[in-house]
Amino acid sequence: MPGKKSPWDAAVEQFNIAAEKLGLEDGLRRRLRNTRREITVHFPVEMDNGKIQVFTGHRVHHNTARGPAKGGIRYDLDVTLDEVKALAMWMTWKCAVVDIPFGGGKGGVVCNPEKLSPHELEALTRRYATEISDWVGAEGDIPAPDVNTNPQVMAWFMDTISMHHGRTERAIVTGKPIQTGGSRGRVDATGRGVMLTIVQAAKFLGLDLNGARVVVQGFGNVGSYSAILLRELGCQVVGVSDISGGVYNPNGIDLDALRKYVKSNKVVKAFPGTDAVTNMELLELPCEILVPAAREDQITATNAPRIKPRILAEGANGPTYPEADLILRDNGVFLIPDILANAGGVTVSYFEWVQGLEGLYWSEEEVVTRLQRIMDDSFAAVNAMAQKHRIDLRIAAYMVAIDRVAETTRLRGLYP
Amino acid sequence: MTTQNDMTLWDMSLANFNQAADKLCLDDGLRQVLGTTKRELTVHFPVRMADGDIEEFTGYRVHHNTTRGPSKGGIRYHPNVTLDQLRALAMLMTWKCAVVGIPFSGSAGGVTCDPKRMTTHELQHLTRRYTTEIETMLGTDYDIPAPDLNTTPQVMAWVMDTYSMHKGYSVTGVVTGKPESIGGSRLRTQATGLGVRMVIEEIARHLKVKLKGARVVVQGFGSVGKSVVESLSSMGCKVIAVSDSQGGAFNPRGINPQKITKHKAEHGSVAGFRGAARVTNAELLEIPCDILIPAALERQITADNAPKIKPRLLVEAANAPTTPEADRILRANRVMVIPDILANAGGVTVSYFEWVQDLQSFFWEDKEIASRLRAMLKRTVAQVAAAAKEQKTDWRTAALMLAVERVAQATTLRGIYP
Repeated sequence: MPGKKSPWDAAVEQFNIAAEKLGLEDGLRRRLRNTRREITVHFPVEMDNGKIQVFTGHRVHHNTARGPAKGGIRYDLDVTLDEVKALAMWMTWKCAVVDIPFGGGKGGVVCNPEKLSPHELEALTRRYATEISDWVGAEGDIPAPDVNTNPQVMAWFMDTISMHHGRTERAIVTGKPIQTGGSRGRVDATGRGVMLTIVQAAKFLGLDLNGARVVVQGFGNVGSYSAILLRELGCQVVGVSDISGGVYNPNGIDLDALRKYVKSNKVVKAFPGTDAVTNMELLELPCEILVPAAREDQITATNAPRIKPRILAEGANGPTYPEADLILRDNGVFLIPDILANAGGVTVSYFEWVQGLEGLYWSEEEVVTRLQRIMDDSFAAVNAMAQKHRIDLRIAAYMVAIDRVAETTRLRGLYP
Repeated sequence: MTTQNDMTLWDMSLANFNQAADKLCLDDGLRQVLGTTKRELTVHFPVRMADGDIEEFTGYRVHHNTTRGPSKGGIRYHPNVTLDQLRALAMLMTWKCAVVGIPFSGSAGGVTCDPKRMTTHELQHLTRRYTTEIETMLGTDYDIPAPDLNTTPQVMAWVMDTYSMHKGYSVTGVVTGKPESIGGSRLRTQATGLGVRMVIEEIARHLKVKLKGARVVVQGFGSVGKSVVESLSSMGCKVIAVSDSQGGAFNPRGINPQKITKHKAEHGSVAGFRGAARVTNAELLEIPCDILIPAALERQITADNAPKIKPRLLVEAANAPTTPEADRILRANRVMVIPDILANAGGVTVSYFEWVQDLQSFFWEDKEIASRLRAMLKRTVAQVAAAAKEQKTDWRTAALMLAVERVAQATTLRGIYP
């Protein structure tokens, strides 16, 4: 793509559009479009062959006005400070949209985890945790899993900080395994959030979900739980895909059988009783509800004119190009933006943190009830902003978020 | 091939480091560890300006290494402050502390701003907020800032006060270069100049050169340049030219240090001093002399002007004034270069004394400080001279080799965590 903007430039541009519509004052604009702090660390790890290798890691706090910074840690060769900054800013808005008391953070290590042994991965995690330990903490910054990091990595992270402090730190990181203080209901939290926002959107549009056709791109954690939870409401899941391609049955796909099939075959490809479609064809299938839950940049100006669900809920981060947004809007597609649709994940992360603080762990039912309240309230706030200003939900969500952060910043004033 | 003009300050420091590492046959892993910074923090913070507007500033703090003890390094306020430059200065501090054998490692920090256009009130607020933002990286046993370009004892006092207010009690050892009334050390303001003088005296003794009447040119008349001019004049050298950012003054018959200090105080610059010829900073470096002392900014002596610079001794009172290419030219012209990490180490050594005095809350007299400083610099000059002779190399490489070897040894002894 010629002249594609850097992730940070794109994030600032998005901010500027919403800040303009809000009429945000200049000083606050300058404040909110900057990160608060960016940390780069270089640290040695002793590899299995006895050699020392130096790795580069980052941790960025975009904003901490509303509470501790919150955001994932990714392990990837493509990690750059620019991208980490953009993702940190994005976390600020996401936490503010769902009105949980967090600011935005993000971190990552430049490495290829596929080429690291479990022992090297553990040593890298422990050393990275040590290097950024001055900036993380239950009241300062709470990391979580992201690309190529999982509950095991979070357990190592939590263990390292706990060993330094000489006591178990339950609330220092989320996405932990249940046995080390993780929350119930976290596995399906993002999918549940997607489902809950779709329910609210359908109610607003007067769309009957019973029998509504659903297409889901991506059958990982987010995609599969979105599909299952929508089916529980009476929807008919007609198309599903993963990296191997998609499967389609206009009369509905048996999801339980599909999950068993994926368990043994690893992919959805060639699932009996379905037609094969490509990932791109899948997006254009006739349906009422489309959930892109795979990767970014899937819906572009090229295919957007042929994508016409009633509701499009972004389970993945950034699946839709800005130009595609306009086309979808003109075609009457009701788009629930990523920042709102997939905020169920960070919300249950928040619950995990709360449970870590109080040392009292909730039942799954409690988690589900509280998540529903937060998602419903957030959808209502964003939709009200959208209707009031006659704008799409994406800008509305940013406006709700920025307005909340700005108000907190004004109240707290300027130190010293 | 990169020419020296494309080389950033960090590239320059790395080139010097690699040369020493090659000669030491340092293993690959250690080379990676010592050739990168440990941590780099960038902060963006708001300051309410005198006109009521909120302005955003960018500040940095870099720890290059912390193996031999807390990191130590200046804070500079300047429009051209960059992360690259600070990485280089932080690394330089690691080597400087190691070569003189004080239990510190290297750091550097700064804020991109133009302090000459700020009110005292704005400067104070900027300092307090910057201190707050980098506070997680500061501490008596962690990282101890000091004055650098455009930062003064007053600025250090604000850093100390802000940090102390947050702790709820006075923490004097968190920063050095403070005014004496709040835990500063005697001789700290003159320390760099005093150290330059002591180093020159020790070297003159080694080389059996007479210093009385030696012609000295000093570039820079900030706190370092001024202290250098005073110290060298008092030992009988003849300072024939000095300069500052506005230009220089040259008088082959000698310049009186008190009079030119007064002139600078009255006119804002040494340029235009009565009885002296006006010269540019570039011309000043090429004035024939016995001892040339760059005491201003980085990268003043490059491949372009080095062929015309031929003092007997070039003493780097500033940090990194000479590029690696210029170094080679000077060596070919038999100019003896006394490297920054040795020449200006008097400053950080007395900073170290200030920290020690703050820890023990017992303060030394001038005499005790001067004699301890003399002992440390004397020992260091002897060690560098011996290393240069043994390794058949120049003093910069010899000094770096001593420093790198000490840090590498400490790293190996401590091992790799976890």
